[in-house]
Formats: sequence, C-alpha cells, structure tokens
Amino acid sequence: MATPFSPPLYMQRYQFVIDYVKTYRPKKVIDFGCAECCLLKKLKFHRNGVQLLVGVDINSVVLLKRMHTLAPLISDYLQPSDGPLTIELYQGSVTEREPCTRGFDLVTCVELIEHLELVEVASFSEVVFGYMAPGAVIVSTPNAEFNPLLPGLRGFRNHDHKFEWTRAEFQTWAHQVCRDYGYSVQFTGVGEAAVHWRAVGFCTQIAVFQRNFHETMSNAKRMEPSVYKLIYKVVYPSLSDNNIYQRTLVNEVLYEAQHLRQEWFRRMNMGSNNNAHFCAPPLMDVLQHGVEGGTRDWRPVYQQGGTICVPLTCVWSSPRVRALCGSVQRLREELLVDSRVRMSPDGAVLNLPAEEEEEEEKVVVEEEEEDVKAVSAVANNVEEDWDGELGS
Amino acid sequence: MDPKRPPFPGPPGVTRMPWMPSAGDQGPSPDQPSLGRARGLVLPKDEPLPGRSRVPGEVPVRFGSAITVRQPAVGVSRGVRLPTDAGGFGRARGFLLPGFGMGRGAPVGPVPTPDIKKADVREKRPVLQTEVTPAIAQIAAPGPGSSLMSMFRGLGIEPGKTWGRGATPVGRGAAGDLGTDVQSADRSDSEREESGLEESFSFLGRGFVGVGRAALPHIGVGRGRLARRAPFLPLRPRSLKKHRFLQERPRKLKEPLQKTGTKGSPVSIGSNYIPICCKNEAVFQYHVTFTPNIESLSMRFGMMKEHRSTTGEVVAFDGSILYLPKRLEEVVHLKAERKTDNQEIDIKIQLTKILPPSSDLCIPFYNVVLRRVMKLLGLKLVGRNHYDPNAVVILGKHRLQVWPGYSTSIKHTDGGLYLVVDVSHKVLRNDSVLDVMNLIYQGSRESFQTSARRSLWARSPSRRYNNRISTVIDDIEWSKSPKDTFTLADGTVTTFVDYYRKNYGIAVKELDQPLLIHRPKERSRPGGKVMTGEILLLPELSFMTGIPEKMRKDFRAMRVQIRSDRTSTWGAEQHTRSLKQLLHNINSSNEALSELGRWGLGVSQEILVTQGRTLPNETICLHSASFISDASGVDWSRGGSRPLYQHLLRFSCICLLLALGQVPLNCWAVFYPRRATDQAEELVTTFTKVAGPMGIKIERPIRSGAHGTIVTETFIKSIHSQLTSEALIPRLSTFGPSLSQRQKLQSIGRQKILLQINCKLGGELWTGERLLWVTFQMPLRGDNQQLQGLSADGPVKYYAAISRRRSRLHFPEKIVIYRDGVSDGQPKTVELYDPQVLKCFETIPTTIRLAFIVVQKRISTTLYSCGSDQFARPRRNRPGPHRYQQRLVGVQEPLQSD
Repeated sequence: MATPFSPPLYMQRYQFVIDYVKTYRPKKVIDFGCAECCLLKKLKFHRNGVQLLVGVDINSVVLLKRMHTLAPLISDYLQPSDGPLTIELYQGSVTEREPCTRGFDLVTCVELIEHLELVEVASFSEVVFGYMAPGAVIVSTPNAEFNPLLPGLRGFRNHDHKFEWTRAEFQTWAHQVCRDYGYSVQFTGVGEAAVHWRAVGFCTQIAVFQRNFHETMSNAKRMEPSVYKLIYKVVYPSLSDNNIYQRTLVNEVLYEAQHLRQEWFRRMNMGSNNNAHFCAPPLMDVLQHGVEGGTRDWRPVYQQGGTICVPLTCVWSSPRVRALCGSVQRLREELLVDSRVRMSPDGAVLNLPAEEEEEEEKVVVEEEEEDVKAVSAVANNVEEDWDGELGS
Repeated sequence: MDPKRPPFPGPPGVTRMPWMPSAGDQGPSPDQPSLGRARGLVLPKDEPLPGRSRVPGEVPVRFGSAITVRQPAVGVSRGVRLPTDAGGFGRARGFLLPGFGMGRGAPVGPVPTPDIKKADVREKRPVLQTEVTPAIAQIAAPGPGSSLMSMFRGLGIEPGKTWGRGATPVGRGAAGDLGTDVQSADRSDSEREESGLEESFSFLGRGFVGVGRAALPHIGVGRGRLARRAPFLPLRPRSLKKHRFLQERPRKLKEPLQKTGTKGSPVSIGSNYIPICCKNEAVFQYHVTFTPNIESLSMRFGMMKEHRSTTGEVVAFDGSILYLPKRLEEVVHLKAERKTDNQEIDIKIQLTKILPPSSDLCIPFYNVVLRRVMKLLGLKLVGRNHYDPNAVVILGKHRLQVWPGYSTSIKHTDGGLYLVVDVSHKVLRNDSVLDVMNLIYQGSRESFQTSARRSLWARSPSRRYNNRISTVIDDIEWSKSPKDTFTLADGTVTTFVDYYRKNYGIAVKELDQPLLIHRPKERSRPGGKVMTGEILLLPELSFMTGIPEKMRKDFRAMRVQIRSDRTSTWGAEQHTRSLKQLLHNINSSNEALSELGRWGLGVSQEILVTQGRTLPNETICLHSASFISDASGVDWSRGGSRPLYQHLLRFSCICLLLALGQVPLNCWAVFYPRRATDQAEELVTTFTKVAGPMGIKIERPIRSGAHGTIVTETFIKSIHSQLTSEALIPRLSTFGPSLSQRQKLQSIGRQKILLQINCKLGGELWTGERLLWVTFQMPLRGDNQQLQGLSADGPVKYYAAISRRRSRLHFPEKIVIYRDGVSDGQPKTVELYDPQVLKCFETIPTTIRLAFIVVQKRISTTLYSCGSDQFARPRRNRPGPHRYQQRLVGVQEPLQSD
C-alpha cells in the first residue's frame, strides 16, 4: 500500500526517537524488535551521548544478517569519537525477564506490541515496566482509526499484526500501565492526515512514558545475559579508552612536530644564511599564546647539536592537539610518560633527531626508480596519457 | 540423498550431463530423445564414425540395470560454443560410448558393429587396471584431491571380475570428470604400482600448473587422454543404481597436452593458493517458477523464505535459479500467498542439474560465504578487500594508518577449488580532503585552485559516513558550498548541511568549502534505470587515502618502517606467515568453520606447495652483441638487481650498442604548450644527440607550440583525432614533469622516449635467439578500431612481423605471442578472437613452435621458491612483484604448422 507520507512514516518514527534522544540524552538505550537495526544505525550515527545501544529481536536470522551494518566505519578508527559506545544485539523475547536489560535510561518499542498476542501484551507490560523499570519508554503502534484513510487497505496493516488499537484502546492500556508501575504518560504520534480528517489522529500513535520514582540500580554492573542470547557485540574505538587517547594524542603531536621541523629545514635551506635560525613566530601564534601565558615563553624551533628542538608551545598551537587535551599542563604530563616522544627533562621541548642527510640519500635512489616507472608508463598507456596530461 | 554418490569435480566450461535414472528408478525422463538429438546436431562433420554418435540420443537406451540417458539441454548450448574442431570431435567420441557400453552390457539397443574391434582391445586391460585403482585412492587422500577417494569408493570400483558389463559408459563419464587424476591410473597400467604412486604425486604438480593459469580454462587445453582411456575403469553394473547422475563432457581426441614442460631443472614452489575441500557430494541446481508469474524479485525472495522448512536454511537463490546443498524431490510444488491481493501462487521447484561442488556456477555464492567468513574474523571490508582494524600500523609522523589485510577469492582450477589469498595493505589517512586543501592553500595562495585540482585529481577519498572508497575525484566545484541544495532520489530538495545532519548526525563545520565532483560512468542499474549526473562530496567529510604525494619521496623510509612491523608484502617469508595466520584464524574460529560448513567447504591449513622448473636462460641479441640473460643480472623483481628493461637500457646506452632495426625518423612533429617550449627544445636537442650513437637517423621535427599555457582537453583531442582519422600515425605523449627531472635523469628519460618512438615505428630494440616475440593488445579506447600489433621488437601488426621475417628467409623456431592487458572479464573474447592469429601461420611452410601467452591485467598469483626468501626462477610462471606485475594465464599448446 502506498502511504502518502513524506518522509516515509517509518522514517518519521525513527526521527521521533532520535529527537527524543537528542533532547533527553539517555546514556543507555535498548530497542526491542530492532529487526533490521535501522533505528540502532541511526542512533549510532547521531550518538547524542548514547554510550550503550542494545537491540533485541526474537528473530536471530535477521540480526545475523544485518549486524555488520552496525560495525564501526573506517572513519571511526581514523578519528575516534570522544564518548564511548558499545553496541550489543541479543536474540530474545520482550516477554522474558533478562537481568541485564535492567537499569536502562530509555526503552523503545517501535511498532512492536501489535505483533504480540493480547495475553503477551500483559506480560510485556510487566517485564518492561515492572521488571526492567527504565527511565523512559517509547511505545508506538498503528492507530486503527486512521486505517480507513489508507487507500486499498483491508484488515490490518501487516499480516502479522495481531491487533490494531484505536486511540482510546491504546490510552486505556497506557494509563493502566502507569497506574500499575508508577509511570506517567504523554500521547503523541507521527503521520498527520489532511486537514479535514484531523479528527482521526495520527497514523502512528506514540506513547512516551516517564518513570515517576527514582531509580536505584542504574549503576549496576553489566552482567552476562542469562536468558537472551548474545548475537553481536562491538565496542567502538573512542578517546575515553586511555590507550587510544594516548596513541591519538602522540600521533598528532609527532605529526605537528615533524611538520614544524620540516618547515624549519625549509627556511634554513631557503635562506641559506644564519638569520633563518631565528625566525619570527607567525602573528597568529603570538596572539594565541599571549592569551595562554605571555610571549616570553615562546621560542621557535631550534637546533641543538644532533637534535632539532621543538618547543611544546609550538605543538600546542595545533588545533587538533588543543582539542585533544584541554591545557598545556595536561599535554606535558601525557607526553612525559610516553616512550614514543623524546622530551627535555622539564617537558618544555620535544627533541627530534636531525637525520635529514640520510633521508636525502634515500630520496635520490627512489626518484631514479620512480622516473623509470614514469617513462615506462608512458609506453604502456600511450593513449591514456592524452588525458593524463590534462591535469597538469 | 545417497551419501555415497560421487562428487563430480571437473574443469569449468565443460558440459556436464547427468545421467538420469530410468523411469522405474526415479522419476520419468520425458525429454530424453529430443535432447539427445539436439546434441547430435552439434557435431555435424567432425565425427570420425558417423552415425554412431547419435545412437544414444535417438534411441532411449536401456542397460541391464535399467539406466537411461538423459542429457539436459544446457549441455547442448555450451557445446555449440566450442570454437575448435577438436572439441566437436571429442564430443562425438564421447557420444558413441554409451552406445558402445550398452551393446556390451545387455543387448537391448542397436549395437554398431565397428565397435567390436575396439571393445576387444579394451578388454585386455582390466586386470592391470584393477590393481592400480586402490593405489590412487590412497595417494589422493591428502591435499586437494581428497574427494577423489570417496569418488572411487562411490563409484564402486572393485577389483576384478565384472569388467566390461554394460557399465562402461558410466566409468567413462566419471573418470572423465576426474580430470588429471586419472592420468596416473592410466599410465601405470603398464607399470608397477610404485610408479603409479609417483605419477600421482606429480599430479599435484600438474594440478598446480593449472592453478597458475587459473583463469584460462577457455583456451582449450587438451585433456583428451583422460577421456579416451577412462572407460577402462571397471565398474560393477550393480553400482550403477547408486549413481544415477553421472556426467560427461566433451573431450578433445587429440594427443593430450602435457601441461608440464620438460625443460629446466625442477624447483619446488610455494604459492598463495590454498586447497579447498568440498565435503558435500554435490550441489543441486533447481529452477523455480512462479505461477502466476511474479515480477518483483523481493517478493520472490520473500516467498522462498517462507519455505525454509522445505529448502533448509542454506540457500542460494537469485530469483529464478536456486542452489541447495541438499536434494529435494525431482519436482516440488509449494504454495504461497501474495500479500498484496491474497492471490495464491504456485511455486514449482524443479531439479535441473546436479553440480559437482566445485562447479563454476557455485563459485559466486562460495565467494559470498567467504566474505561472510572474513567479517566473522573481524576483518573490515574496504573497497574489495578485507582489512584488520586491530592490527593497524600507525605512522604518526605522517598522520597515516596502514591497515593490513587480505584480498581473497575462490577460484576453480584443474586441481579443484582453491582459495587465492593475497596480502594487501590499505593506506588510510587521518587528513580530510579539507585539511589537505588548507595545506595547499598555505603553500601556494596564488595558484591555489590549480594546485588543489592537480593534487586531488583522481584521488579516491573514503567517507566519514560509510566505508565506500570507490569514488574518484574528477574535479572541484568551486562555485558550490554545503549550503547549496541537491535533489534526493525521492525528489525532495535539501541542502548538504541538512542532509548530513539529519541522516548521519554530522554537523558540517566549514560552510564555505567547495565540493568535490565525481562523474560516474553512465551505466544502467539492474532495474533498467540509467545512472547519470555528478556526485558531489564534501571535502570535510572525505578522508584522503593512499600515500600522499609529498611522502612518495619518503616512501622508502616508510616502507622500512612498515616492514619492521612485519606487514610487508615484499618478502615471501612474511607473505606466507600472514597467509598462514589467516588460515589459522579461519580454522580456529568455530563461527567461520560452521559458516563454511554450511556449503560443505573446508579450507586447508597449509598453502599449496608444488613443483616448478627453472628454465635455461635465453640469449638476448642487440644490434651488434648478444648476451645471456643470466638470472642474477636480469630480475623482474624490484628488490633484487635491476629489472630487465632497465638492464637493456643500460646496455644500449652505455655500451653504445645499437638497436637491431632502426627506423629513420624523417618526418615527425612535436606538439607542446607554449609554456613548455624550453622543455620541448631540450627534448629535441637530446634526441638529436643520442640518436647518432644509437644508430637512429633523425631529422629536425616540425614544432608546434599551442597558444595558452595549459594544454586543453580539446587541443589534445583534436590532435589525437587528426592523427587517427586521416591516417594511423604513430604518436607518443609524455608528461611534462617527467621531462623536467634532474639533470642526471633527464638524458636517460629522453633516451627512453626515443627508444619508444623507435619501437612505435617498427624498430627493434632487442630480440631473442631463434625467438620471435609478438605481443598485441586491443586498443585501449573504442575509437581506434584497428587491432594493433605491438611486438617487443616493433609495433607492427603481428602478421607483418611474421611476413617480414619471411622476406628475410629466416624463420624463428619459436614464436611467443604475448597477449597483454586482458582484464578479468575479457578472457572469453580472447578465446574467441585471438586464435585468428593461427590462421596466418597456415601460409608459412615451416615448422614453428608457437606459444600463446595470455596476460591478465590484475594479478593474484604469487609464487616463491619454498623455504627460502627468494622468488623462484621459472620465469614462465613467475610474475614480477611491482607494477609490472602481470599474470601468466595460460600457454596454448605448441602449434605444429605444416
């Protein structure tokens, strides 16, 4: 059946959850009936402070098939995010009590309950609201009153639907849940009908439950699942992992130092007289460091015997390094304990070897080979070179 | 399913014809006669014994044990394609066999009389034969042929007695499928058992030779011998009942090609091939029809999914053809309901073929399984290959990461299925394209746009929000920014900023960046929708990949660093180690094993080690001198001493040896942009200077400087089309930058250009003794329709090369035709059209040995001598390890022309 919604209704439902997460920033989110993991994937992209994402579905085949879409991307390895993120997928049923699903901040059941028998809905309420007792629950289900407006629809919207509730039925159930388990509820929905049909309500009705009492076990330790079956688990690389943080920071520092060193060499060669030894700092840096701690600390890159010395303050001017650690003190502390960086004892200067000559030698050899390759390439791809030339 | 049913391994591209059961046994075989007839038509003229071959087709044959023959139509269509006469011939031969066996088994059908003589001859063999077969079964147990044993067992080969009862055709069919294996059995029937043993070991070697040429099942390599002798395998008629499906394939009747040569000294070679054993007996192919027909593929998939209880969880289904590892009934009828209108759909699943598990048709979904296995091992798919994010080597100095990984594929070769693994590394950078642009901007503010365009052009960035890497930067759109809008597939218009924020939660920081343009080739999607238009990428959300230009110079230092981290591809030692690591990982992961086990696949723990040979060195002749291309001096490998081409250049330049056939350069022109006038002048001067000593006559060229500073596309195009449309004028273009290198390199580079020109005009630089190399390649672009011959010693059409030789009354003993630049999809074309070359040899009244070498563009085969860190010598099979990597795909049999 063609739904006249734009964006499609399912997207609107997901967007609703994402907007909720953006506003309330829950740390631990569990999605029941995650199926193709679309919602999890979106939440993963948007992050919004989510640290633990759990998906539960009764069908393990679909989970197995789609689980790799939740794996970290290359860019997640290249530039680890700030906050930690763990994604877990379980095979299990919402009507079963699973200890490790307790203590979540948000539970989403998008278009789930209508797939349960009415008997199961009762145990669902008991498990989700009574046992798991999360901070908030989002439940969405079709609005039966809207069905006449859907063209060509007979019966339920999906052959697997066991029931489709009217707004009154849904609200009766929701209020009962609130009374039984101490929640308060608000109703909303997505997919509005055209103006003169507004009375039927949203196409998808959504109930947002908030827990009324303060929860005690949110800091409980994560345990092994005893009822559900773990299908997939992935821990995203993040800067909250100290190893990754250290590694990322050191790499940035080394890169920056290397960059400065090369810059210095270039100036040396260009000037070929001694005044290049002491070049003025760029105006920008002076200004920035003026704010930090006065220009008197500022020294340019200089050579001392066999080493090139790069002052830490120079490295600090790199925005990436700044973003990684808040202060020069922290940077110094981090670098002093790392074996990959050679620092002066007071931690003010980075020492880099001045082995430029050796490298120069290698470059010559390499270039020769490169050249041979280049010319032979001309021979092999004569035709292509017509275009290849264009770039230059 | 009968567990003892034999597997049917066999080389690809060959007809398989299951022998179907009789009516009494299982199901009817209704289409029998017509199919048989159709098949007979395939071989109209080449039959040696006319009439007989049609016997099994037209008459429903019955054996003592009630076996009927059914040949599916598929076999027929394949047969037609076989290009050579020999193929048809072999087929004819195959045909008469059933008739023949039948005649002997039970006098049911008509027995052609001429058979009898042969039958007698064969009858002499059985005793010897039976001795040998058990030996083979033993030998074959390890390694790739482990299915062999079960096959023999399955076939019910038993010593003694019942030889020669109607079973012959069956034995033939099966043995034919055994491929090379049977050879050993065959030979040893006149020898003792040990010799049979030896042979079988050498089979491994031979199997490997096939491996090296994996992609060339097409260029018909004769396997005639097997087909011919295989019928000698004795079978008890009773066993026939078990094996309802047997296959047969057309064979050449020609003297079989010995794939292993004899020259040179043997050497043992390691490879990156890993045997895959197929534990399943067969894979079953079904045709699925939906009535009333259902167009939507996804609906078809959905309906098949509902019947998992029937088909099982292990399914490969493409919408109409279904592959299962298990056997269903001959015809299965299932019901499904169309959800949209509750229409009842009848699904008919009909068995069409029983494939050996190593069939080519299975390889696509085996590769899918393999990809899943790689994912299970925690490897990430980047581009085509899988990389391990946990073993990343980070080069902080360059803000760069090297991901070690593997490229894997399953290939079918003579020896069965092999997993071809190559070690691959992906260089990823922590710089976004925007970072790079900023750097460029700092470096050169005035010519920023030009230099940004130049350094980003043809780069393929990875993206922030998915793992795709394939798009290439074609241009930069300076007039657009992320604030601009674009149209989504569903017609809504949105800005880039909104799009990324909504879909990926990415906030674009720099709102004034230009956009990168990728212009994809026009192609139609499976749905028939044509993909056009540009793809725009945000520099901020694109990461650079590959080694940065600036670092290329520093590349050696970097390589050393990478090597120290044991991720190098260069040494055979590291290579095998990382291969073995992968094999270990696969075999120690239960998930991976069970994934493979679903299709009955198993990956060996060890790489394939086989026999190769070191060939004697060829003498290379220059204008006035010749030298033996000794192995130490000429090495294709970069790690060793100088590559051959470089060696030659040194020779010709330094020793002032002259090239063989120089063509005077009387009339030529140089086109260049004004900006490069100096360079062009210098080039011409160098040419004149060097040409003398090299023996090339050279005149002053016509010089034409183009207006403007940059060579425009139209300018080049116009010259290009002028040169090709009026007359085929040889042309050569070169990069400006490669001319303006350092002084020392300049002259060498220019000399090489001159040599290139000389070659293009038909000159020769070098030649082998008694050897003519002819290489030819298809034009790279469609606009040049003429097949261009390009020989190593002169760019001429290949027949011209040969006729020139003839005019000198001097014929080479051997001709090597070197077909270069065959991409993965092209072998078929090569197979069909390139043998035309052979026609021209018909006119030459001499005996010339011809080798036809097909070289693929991409290489995945790596060979190294076992135990040492050096590459093995046999050049025929030894690819070079750098950009001259070429893959020897196959060598056609030596041609005897008279």
